Parts: sequence; C-alpha cells; structure tokens
Amino acid sequence: MSIVEVQELCKQYDPPKGVLAVDGVSFHIDKGEIFSLLGPNGAGKSTTISMLSCLLRPSGGDALVDGHSVVTDSQAVKEAIGVVPQDIALYPDMSARENLLFWGKMYGLAGAELHARVDEVLELITLVDRQKDRVEKFSGGMKRRVNIGVALLHKPRVLYLDEPTVGIDPQSRRSILDGILALRDQGMTILYTTHYMAEAQELSDRIGIVDHGKMIAVGTNEELVRSVGEEAHVELSVDHYLEGMVERWADVPGVTKAMIDEERAVLLVQDANEVLPRLFEAAAAAGSRITEVNVTEPNLEMVFLHLTGRALRE
Amino acid sequence: MGWAEGAPHNDPAVSRILAIAWKDLRSTMRNVPALAMMLVAPLALAALLGFAFGGGQSFSISATKVAVANADTGTAGVAENAGNVVVGVMKSPDLRDIITVGDKPSAAAARTSVDDGKSTTAVIIPADLSAAIFATSPTAPMAVVELYENPTQEIGGAITESIVGQALLGFNGARAAALAASGLATANGDGERAGKLAQQAAETYMRDGGAAAAVSVAQRAPRLPGGESTKDVGVTGTILAGMMIFFMFFGANNVARTIIDEDRAGTLPRLFTTPTSRHTILGGKYSSVFVTVTVQAVILLVAGRLIFSIDWGRLDAVAALTLVAAAVASGLALLVISLVRTPAQAGAIGAGVYLVLALVGGNFTGTAAAGGTYAQIQKLTPNGWLLQGWDAVMRGGGLADIGLNLLVPLLFAVAFFAVAALRFRKRYA
Ligand SMILES: Nc1ncnc2c1ncn2[C@@H]1O[C@H](COP(=O)(O)OP(=O)(O)OP(=O)(O)O)[C@@H](O)[C@H]1O
Ligand SMILES: [Mg+2]
Repeated sequence: MSIVEVQELCKQYDPPKGVLAVDGVSFHIDKGEIFSLLGPNGAGKSTTISMLSCLLRPSGGDALVDGHSVVTDSQAVKEAIGVVPQDIALYPDMSARENLLFWGKMYGLAGAELHARVDEVLELITLVDRQKDRVEKFSGGMKRRVNIGVALLHKPRVLYLDEPTVGIDPQSRRSILDGILALRDQGMTILYTTHYMAEAQELSDRIGIVDHGKMIAVGTNEELVRSVGEEAHVELSVDHYLEGMVERWADVPGVTKAMIDEERAVLLVQDANEVLPRLFEAAAAAGSRITEVNVTEPNLEMVFLHLTGRALRE
Repeated sequence: MGWAEGAPHNDPAVSRILAIAWKDLRSTMRNVPALAMMLVAPLALAALLGFAFGGGQSFSISATKVAVANADTGTAGVAENAGNVVVGVMKSPDLRDIITVGDKPSAAAARTSVDDGKSTTAVIIPADLSAAIFATSPTAPMAVVELYENPTQEIGGAITESIVGQALLGFNGARAAALAASGLATANGDGERAGKLAQQAAETYMRDGGAAAAVSVAQRAPRLPGGESTKDVGVTGTILAGMMIFFMFFGANNVARTIIDEDRAGTLPRLFTTPTSRHTILGGKYSSVFVTVTVQAVILLVAGRLIFSIDWGRLDAVAALTLVAAAVASGLALLVISLVRTPAQAGAIGAGVYLVLALVGGNFTGTAAAGGTYAQIQKLTPNGWLLQGWDAVMRGGGLADIGLNLLVPLLFAVAFFAVAALRFRKRYA
C-alpha cells in the first residue's frame, strides 16, 4: 500500500527561461519502506523534496502524501511529514534542548508531552549529556543528529531525509544510518536522498535514480542491476602460467569473457558465487595456485554509468 | 510506542506566536552587540549630551558678567536718577543667576573690562539719561545707552541687551504716556503745569518700578494642546526620549532582519514545513519585533528614571506613548525589511531611513520646545508626533493632552505594517 504517490511532478525555477529542475517525475513509496532518490549534484533531489514538503509549488503534476495533495491540502500533508533539510536548519545560539523544544511547539506539541518527546529524541540521537550546550558548539555530526531529531518530534508518518550524511565522519554516518534503519523497523516510511551509491544500496528497499530532473530508473537494487544486464567482475592473480589459465577459465560455464589486464586475469561472470568454485577447480587441475581474488558485484554505480554514460561522482 | 504513530497536535496559534517571539527575544538578549546598540548607546548618548547641556536637570548657562559705567548726572528738579534705576534692575536678586554686575568708574574702564575678557558686556549709561527721560518737551535730545559686547559671546550679549532694553522700554512707555497727557493739558491752556505733570508721572513710574504694573510677561515654552504647563522638563529626559525612539528603530530593525536571516539560514523554510501556518509564523515574527522593542523601551525608561532621575510623567500616558512608539518602530522596520533582499541592504537602507526620520522628527534636536515652523515639520514624521507627546507628558500632561500624538503615529504604524504584511505574504506565498 503506497503512502506517497508522485505523479508527473515538474518544477521550473523562474519560468519561462529558468532551469527545469524536476521534469515529470513519478514514483510511489510503500508504507514502511525506505525509498531513496539517488542522483548526482543538481539532479533535482532537493527540489523534489521541497515540493513534497509543500515548500515549493509544483509547476506541474501533483503528489499525494498520506492521501493528501501537496497542492491543495498542504496542511494535512505537513501534519504527516517530518522534513530533514539538506543544510542544517537550527538555531545555533540555542541549546540542543531549546531547539527541540521550539521545533516541537511548531509541530503543535505542548506541555508534558512536548518535554517527554524531547527527552525521547535526545535519547535517540544520543545527545542527552550535551543537551544544554549551544548547537554552535557542536561538531558537524552532532549538528546533523539534532537536525534529524527535530523532524522526529511529532512522530511523522513519512520522514524525508535530504542527504543527511553529507560532510561527516564515518562513525557519525554509521550511527545515522543505523538510526534510520531502526526507524524503518518501527514502521516509519522514509524518503531518503543521496548521491552516495553505497548508502542507497545499503539502506533502501527501493531506489529511484534521478538525473537532470528525470527519473531514469526505479526498482530494488537487484532489479536495477539486473535490468541493465551488468555482470560481476572477477579479478584473479596466479603464481605462474597466467596466459594458459585465462584460456582455461574462458571455457568455464558462467564465464562470458576472460582477458588479461597487466599481471591479472579479469573475468566477466553472470553469478560470481556460482562460478568461483569452478575457477578454483580449473586452476588446481592445471597446477596453478590462485594468490589473489577480487570480486566486484554489479552495482548502482555501473547502472548509472550504463544509463547515462557518466560516472556518479562520489 | 513506535516512532510513526503521530496524531495531529493542536496547540493554539497564539502559543506558537509567543514561542517565536520568546525565541527571538531571548536570542536578542544573548547578542551583546545588539544589546549595546539598543540599550547602552541611547543611555550613553543621553548622558553625554545631557552633561554637555549642563546639570542634567535644565538648560542653564553660567551668569553673564556685565561691566557698568553709570555717568548719569540726574536732572534738575527730579529726585530720581534713571541711570541708578537701570543699574538697580540689573542688580536685582531675581537676575542674580543670569548676570553679575560690576561697577566701573568710567566708560573707558568698562570697555577695557570687555576687551580684556573680564566681562562679556559693558553697559555705558550716558550723563544725559535722566535729562532725556524727564524732559518736558517732546523734542528734547535722545539719550543713548551703549552696549559694548564681546562678539563671540552672543548669548551673554543678548541677555544683557534684553534686560537693559526692558528697563528702557518702560521709561519710554512712561514718557510717551506722560507726553500725551501733557499734550492734552497744553491744549487746555496750562502748558507749564502740564510739563510738570508729565515729569511727575515719569518720576512716579520710575520710583514704583514695575511693582504696580498692570501687565507682565512670563516666559514659557510653547504648549501642546492641553492643560497649563507647570513642570520644568529636564534636558536629559528630553534627549533620552529622542534617543530611545531613534534606537528603537534599530532595535526593531535587528529583529525584523531575522526574517531575511532565517530565510537564508534555512530555519524559515523549515518552519514552513511544519504544520504551523505561514500566517502564524509571520505573525510570530511581527510579534517578536514588537515585543523586543517594547522591552527595550521599558528598560530605557526605567534606566532613565534610575540613572538620571528623569520624571517621565503620568504612567498611563507614558505606557500609551511607549506602546505606540513600539508599534511605529516595528511597523517601519518590517516595512524596510519587506522591501530589501539581503541583510546588507537591510542594514544600509534601514540606517538611512531611520536617520532621515530622526533628523526631520527632531530626535536629536530636542522636542516641541523648539517651537515654530520646526514643530510643524516634525509633524511630518511619526516620531516627531511622539516626541511632542513625550514632551507634553513630561511637562505634566495626561492622556487627554496627547490624543493626536498617539493617534497619528498609530495610523503611521498601521500603514507601515499593512504594506509590510502584504509584501511578506507575496514573498512567502
Ligand atoms: N532556488 C533556485 N532557483 C533557481 N534554480 C535552482 C534553485 N534551487 C535549485 N536550482 C537548480 O535546480 C536544479 C536542481 O537542484 P537541486 O538542489 O534540486 O538538486 P539536488 O539533486 O538536490 O543537488 P545536490 O545533490 O547538489 O543537493 C539545479 O540545476 C539547481 O541549480
Ligand atoms: Mg540537494
């Protein structure tokens, strides 16, 4: 059952000459899933989030969030969503707790419930002991956590996260990603945007790849990879007899291509897990020892490259 | 409880507006440069200017030193000596704070005293003063009292001139009346007796001085509509009222500017993604501005009372003026901010607008006491009306005396605010 329905959404900034930032994007998000918009800088991810947050009026199309139109029923949409903007939007001269209390009021919380929710969120973003410190004194990762915490105060049915891990250390990123997975496990629906292929791959139940304002592919990670017919790369090094080995490996079932690249063999295979044991057997039969193996499963990076002819810069 | 079970919350809009106002007020209170500008600057300037004008309580000028050479030899048949009367007036206890009179033996000595800078003015009374005044013939020669002044001491000279002039004017008046009576008597055929009568009349006038005067002039500052002015207004109070309103413009500008700042920082757009309506959010911002300048004004008024012992006047009138001033400052600052795009523009254009209004409105030059055309020009600005109102209240006026001084600025405020609100509605539609 879908909780977000996006239909032919368009946005042109400063018409009639301005950029067509979002160009007829359609997708849906099922209740309780993490849906990622993956795309490079300027793809139109933030613009899409802004329209789904009722911050920007679409130039065309519409979206239903929790059954309400972002164009005609923005109040109901805003009740249902929590928005984590790409750039940190907090009051730096106020403490973490003061920020949360203020934003909680803006979400309509009050009194004991407000304080209880703020306590819960501080716990969740693990900032209980720093809650009285001004946000301006926080590290980038801590600010990001408060930035996310604000959007959770009113227990939104749909959470939008616009590149919430940009510019932070691996440890903070890890804790944010784990937090997002935990929220999903509790039933929250999440719309996530990123230009990090690995994040989309790890987090998402489904992914939409966007480029130049257009949705160029939608599906699960596996579906997307399969759709472009990409194969796994297997790179192998042996102690001797490399050329002979490559010829033998080329004949192993499941191997579609075998070649030599510098001192290694590079094979394209349909299913690395299935083929690898056979490659070892063939080497043993020829009296060669495999000294190094490197498997690269097909990924979204390859999909993006395949679809656009350009790399998805990290 | 899970994290995705939120139900709509319905905290009323008013409490959200207050939350926004409270947040902005607190953030201003933590902003030291802003506080310095809003509170310290007006107090410091008022203290400085108040001190420059002396005493802090009223405009006072140190007594002018006057050298007098009285050569009047009197005139035959008249006991009174006009020169002595003039000197007596100048030495009267009432004028002690204004002029100090030093007797000089001769006109030359008196002039030297001025040339040496020991006196500001010399008053030289001619030998024939009494003769001229008590002359029985209308064609008698005119006596001339000379004022010898240091040209750089204009105020001292003017004061002496007005005192001496006042005394001589009395003589001239008495003489004119006496001559008129004598003319009538002559027409009736008793010329000599009439001349005597005129002389006696002048002499009587001289002896009794102004004591039995039928008319007298008292000096007062121009009045605003309303009751009689009785109180002396302290100069520091007048100056602080002007400074307060001027710096309220900047205080309001500071807070109104956060609309642009928050827009850029992303917190305003983020507010727009919450279920709090845009009207409530902008209403909260407007309230922030108003609350902040009101608090600023109250602190300045209390500080003025405590530090400079300023008597601001009746509480209800002061409260009304304060609220209207806060409304004007808020409306104006919001209007300025609604017309600009960047914080830099807000600073520059704001400062220009407030400075011009303050110059025209009289924030730096005192209040209605200036009088005349300037008082009319002041009324082109809301702050001019407010300052005149403040002046009236400091002089003891009440609410009834400042109806227009409240109403006109309030209309200005409403107009400013309406235009600003329209522009913001368009910008953040
Ligand atoms: N306010 C604006 N006015 C005009 N053009 C804009 C505005 N905001 C974004 N754009 C343009 O719209 C296009 C999409 O921008 P958007 O911010 O949605 O991309 P994004 O996918 O979020 O990129 P990033 O990963 O860098 O955040 C870009 O070409 C951008 O220059
Ligand atoms: Mg973006």
